[in-house]
Amino acid sequence: MSKQVNIIPCSGIGKVHGLLAREIALRLVNEICSEEAKTECLGYIVTEDQEIADRIKASKCITIDGCPKMCAAKSVANVGGTIAEEVRIVDILKGYRGIKTGTATALNDDGWNIVDEAAEKLAIRVREIYGEE
Amino acid sequence: MATVKIGVISCSGEDCLGGTISRLATRKMMEEVRPGDAVTLCLPLFIAGGEEERGFAEAHPTITVDGCSKWCAKRATERLSGKVSDAVQVEDIIGSEAARGSILSTRQLRPEHLEMVDKVTEEIKKKFDLIVEEFAEQAMTIKLC
Repeated sequence: MSKQVNIIPCSGIGKVHGLLAREIALRLVNEICSEEAKTECLGYIVTEDQEIADRIKASKCITIDGCPKMCAAKSVANVGGTIAEEVRIVDILKGYRGIKTGTATALNDDGWNIVDEAAEKLAIRVREIYGEE
Repeated sequence: MATVKIGVISCSGEDCLGGTISRLATRKMMEEVRPGDAVTLCLPLFIAGGEEERGFAEAHPTITVDGCSKWCAKRATERLSGKVSDAVQVEDIIGSEAARGSILSTRQLRPEHLEMVDKVTEEIKKKFDLIVEEFAEQAMTIKLC
């Protein structure tokens, strides 16, 4: 197994929840956990190409989904990936009731605050999984 | 403007800058350029969704927007939903080197990135309007018959 944890967001395009998922993933892999985590392209996973299926199977995954369709989790499972943690944006937002976070195109300041806080919390889980590898 | 809803499907593009540009250009089509006429669907819904989602490309003329030369949006849409009407390749518009650059958070976007979004949106709009014209001509022909 590869040491780095795959962070797979849904990047949903219809609602702000998808952008929140995408930005939390990018904050993790580009900044907070750049050594412990990486991302793979969900669009590529959807193609079911052997190359990406092999890469997904080589590491444990954390999926981050913006809506109940759970596209990221289902797509990773579809190519045989191991999901160590399924994160749902709706669960994260339960701690921020009534707060507007922006749109599917751009987050507002509250949205960015949630991204930063959620990424810091999720980084703890990333390091746990990374340590298990 | 359009009498038909046209699907614009972006790759999710977490691999490179082209994916961010693709996603934002698709959003711009929906919010600013052809609001109400451009509709979209998350690409992975072809796997995670139901019959309605899988039938999207059969129900709507569809333009895919891909951020890199893997053509994930086009290939996945055609395999899982239906043939697309047209396809936009971001690499062809902003150049391979730029498109394959590191993925950026929307927090890191600079004016040059927004110019890239505008160029890609313009290309989507051209293809979009051609499809609208084709449908208008077809409708006129049917009416005359």
